[in-house]
Amino acid sequence: MLNEKQTNRNNDIPFLEVKSISFSYDAINTGRTLTLKDVSFFVNKGERIAILGHNGSGKSTLVKILGGLVEPDKGECLVNGVKIQDLDFHELRGTIGMVFQDPENQIVAAMVEDDVAFAPENQGLPSNEIQERVDNALRRVNMSHKQDSSVQRIALAGALAAKVDCLILDEATSMLDTQGRKDIEKVLREIHAEGMTIIQVTHILERESFSDIQRVIVLSQGEIIWHGTNKEFWDKAEDLGFDLPDKEITTNPAPVPSSNVKFKIDNLSFKYNPDDINYALRNIDANIYAGQWLSIIGKTGSGKSTLVQHLNALYKIQEGNIYFDGQELAQKGEEVHTLRQRVGLVFQHPEDQLFSPTVREELAFAPKNAGFSGSELDEAILYGLECVGLDKIFLERNPIALSGGERRLVAIASVLSAKPECIVLDEPLAGLDASYERIILAMLGRLRDEGKTIITITHDLRVALKFSDRILFLMDSKKVKEGTPDELINKLRTIYPDWFSDS
Amino acid sequence: MNSLINFGQYIPTGSVIHKLDPRAKLFAFLIIITSIFPAKNLLQVSLWIAVLISLVYVTKISWRIILRVARPVFFLIAFTCLFNIFYGELYRALFTSLRLFVLMIFAIMLPLTTAPLELSDGLDTLLRPLSAIGFPAHESSMMIGMALRFIPLLMQETDKIIRAQISRGARLDQGNLFQRVKAFFPVLIPLFIIIFRRADEIATAMEARGYDGGDGRTRRKPLIWKFTDTLAILIAIILAGVIFML
Repeated sequence: MLNEKQTNRNNDIPFLEVKSISFSYDAINTGRTLTLKDVSFFVNKGERIAILGHNGSGKSTLVKILGGLVEPDKGECLVNGVKIQDLDFHELRGTIGMVFQDPENQIVAAMVEDDVAFAPENQGLPSNEIQERVDNALRRVNMSHKQDSSVQRIALAGALAAKVDCLILDEATSMLDTQGRKDIEKVLREIHAEGMTIIQVTHILERESFSDIQRVIVLSQGEIIWHGTNKEFWDKAEDLGFDLPDKEITTNPAPVPSSNVKFKIDNLSFKYNPDDINYALRNIDANIYAGQWLSIIGKTGSGKSTLVQHLNALYKIQEGNIYFDGQELAQKGEEVHTLRQRVGLVFQHPEDQLFSPTVREELAFAPKNAGFSGSELDEAILYGLECVGLDKIFLERNPIALSGGERRLVAIASVLSAKPECIVLDEPLAGLDASYERIILAMLGRLRDEGKTIITITHDLRVALKFSDRILFLMDSKKVKEGTPDELINKLRTIYPDWFSDS
Repeated sequence: MNSLINFGQYIPTGSVIHKLDPRAKLFAFLIIITSIFPAKNLLQVSLWIAVLISLVYVTKISWRIILRVARPVFFLIAFTCLFNIFYGELYRALFTSLRLFVLMIFAIMLPLTTAPLELSDGLDTLLRPLSAIGFPAHESSMMIGMALRFIPLLMQETDKIIRAQISRGARLDQGNLFQRVKAFFPVLIPLFIIIFRRADEIATAMEARGYDGGDGRTRRKPLIWKFTDTLAILIAIILAGVIFML
């Protein structure tokens, strides 16, 4: 809310200046584990910068400090030359707006306009002015479109309605699919062109999203390890540990092509409620081959998760049939328990389902339920741990104290420890950075080579094409295409050009 | 452009009841509740059922949705019923359960017809006098509004965790009561972690949008008391009075 004149006069002072900030969560043992270590940088008015970092690099903490939501232990953060803690609360909130990762956790109201009105209401504006702000903000984010990203659009409008000079986005697009990301990016480019300062914290690299970013700062383990212009960054990206998005796609088929059918899905249809008009799955026919890796791709809501939850009888068959090793899939009783041991299912964000005080107990849960005991159980626990490549010292640790990526590995290990012959994973890479993506993809490849059947749900076509043996493409509850990556690569390019526009 | 974001239990249909001032709805609700509690004969309860059916008709919300939202309440009612059968006679048990059921459905109509923030506003103004004796009127109202907004989301989370633990072989529906309670820990512990994390994130997001308690906060649509609001309360009082006399 600082006017033009004031900023011009202060031309030599950057809009935001971070001066050797350090921060630690364990305040008692200060200095033992620093989340941020001596971080310094500046952002000029109207600039758009990206702060890149892997999971656990301290970027989310940095975001909170930049937004004045957390006070650093050492150093200071200046906005237009004034220490952020000295700014009036409402002045600060009218200067810096924030959009966070999970849209569901930032929406306070049940209706769009009521939610966007939240910030101007907090500023104590008269009602006609609030309405004007709401209308402008919604027009600004092109709210008329009905798309997957609409909730994140509302969050963006909600921040804009405060009439801020600077937007900080903390992984704001990382839960969206490719199209959703493009929609939000378009809005961001427009508001940047109109003079908004934008600080974007992300781990996703896309040439298009980066097109109007001026500078890049790379954060690793709480320290700035690199900073430079956008152009310089792309030459260095691989050395800094990032995967370039436009690498040539090479397919990677199973060592021995198999014709053994593990699951035969025969004309499967499903509705959540009998009186629903729309089917969640409609006439699905598919073969899933033993010892192969199948990727199921499709947009949010296309029926992917519903389909895989049929494979271990979490959803009961309503119409059609599924055959597992030639037998009708178990639907009730003790047979279902056996089925669930043989077909391991890893849900999306499985780290949210951990409950044990130690990794050992977490890994023991599934095999114990499947009847393992004694040395057999110990061996199963070690097997799970070994599959995901974690060291034995992890066994006695508390899952909550681990990093996000490690928790994901423990959660996957807790399904693998029951020694399933089929492993189904729903978006196993969601929210992970490149290094953990590599670990999990390599692990799945190994398990496949050992003869296990792998089924993954992904919205990342690149991963599906590069790693899996077959691809099943769902759209609006129906099967659209099925085949090997080589067969599908050109067909998909015509159906889904958006997925290829980066390469 | 003010469309539903699809969070919370609020079902906008634009009915007369939806348009009522939240204060009027809260007040009328209070009158109805205090009148159903002492209902002692079947006639009174039957009349309240008739009122309920008319109310649902006016709100244009389908019974299917109402019963779905009410599903968790059925357990409470079933429990009360069993408890009463155990300690009393069958008729009494069924009567108490029916009365409780009617009461609960009336209660559910409130969040179904009122947006969470609107409800918070209404509660806030009604409780404001209590802040003179140190009661955190605004905070409690905001808390209730936020809780209502997050209930459906937490139900989804619970469902997902249950599915995940069943996939790992958990047997949630077998064994004696003690074993069943114990078997539920793998669901409850992750749920609590998620609730705390969500609460923390939403608090941060609210602060980032300049929320600093109720002081100095204005509203896009300030509450305006209309003639229909007075009328709604009068109807509630008359109904409660007449049915109480019977």
